[in-house]
Amino acid sequence: MSEIKRVVTLTASVLSGLFLLAMLLGLAVVLTTAMVLQYSFGEIPCPLCLLQRFAIFGCCFGLIKQLHSDSESGTGISLIFSILLLVISARQTLLDIVPRPGHEYVGGAIFGIHMPVWSIFIALALLIGLAVRLTLFGGLRSAAAVESHLIRRSAQGLAIYVVFICSVNFLSVIVQCGIDQCHRSEYRLFVG
Amino acid sequence: MMAAIYATLLIAFILDLLGHQRFAVPCLFISLALCILLFLWEIYSPIYGFRMPWLQVEVAPLSAPFAG
Repeated sequence: MSEIKRVVTLTASVLSGLFLLAMLLGLAVVLTTAMVLQYSFGEIPCPLCLLQRFAIFGCCFGLIKQLHSDSESGTGISLIFSILLLVISARQTLLDIVPRPGHEYVGGAIFGIHMPVWSIFIALALLIGLAVRLTLFGGLRSAAAVESHLIRRSAQGLAIYVVFICSVNFLSVIVQCGIDQCHRSEYRLFVG
Repeated sequence: MMAAIYATLLIAFILDLLGHQRFAVPCLFISLALCILLFLWEIYSPIYGFRMPWLQVEVAPLSAPFAG
């Protein structure tokens, strides 16, 4: 009986780890796409866009922590930052929903949907994903997901990549905003 | 302010990667507090406050059973 329980726990642990890895990979792809749009297509992020990126990084932090922990504190952190992302993106959508003087351009669109609206979808997907994971594996896990060698290596690689793009974003914020307010139209340090 | 938010976030990530979770999580919550402050500052308008007067709703005419 204890052998069956051990197999069930191990399987749940591996599936939970794969679930977390898929979510982390999805967020890494979103952040990379945002950076490609910024550097290749000249879409300089507005302050609220930068705060949304920050919230996504916070979710990544929680997922990375959850992958290495047998408690659910990482999921809690991800939930907090998902709600933050939802609040910021909903507010920005409401700010941009009516064209006003000084707010005519609200950024590019992907598949006809603007970035803040995509952020709302991402926040909702995160909340649903975290809820589904807790429902399926919340009570079964008694070991950290990184017990599996493949998951451990993948989680480590993804964590290093997320830290790398976080440092690139930090440098980008310094170039764009300095230590003051953020410019929407130009990089502050590149202005002559 | 934005630079401070990203700096504390990056420090939290690095501390977590180096295995200092005890210091990483407080660092993350400091950046979260800064983020909330900056968000409130960004959306506050000296004219409108936190309101968004360009969002208008119309009062629908009441149908017969509820009117009067």
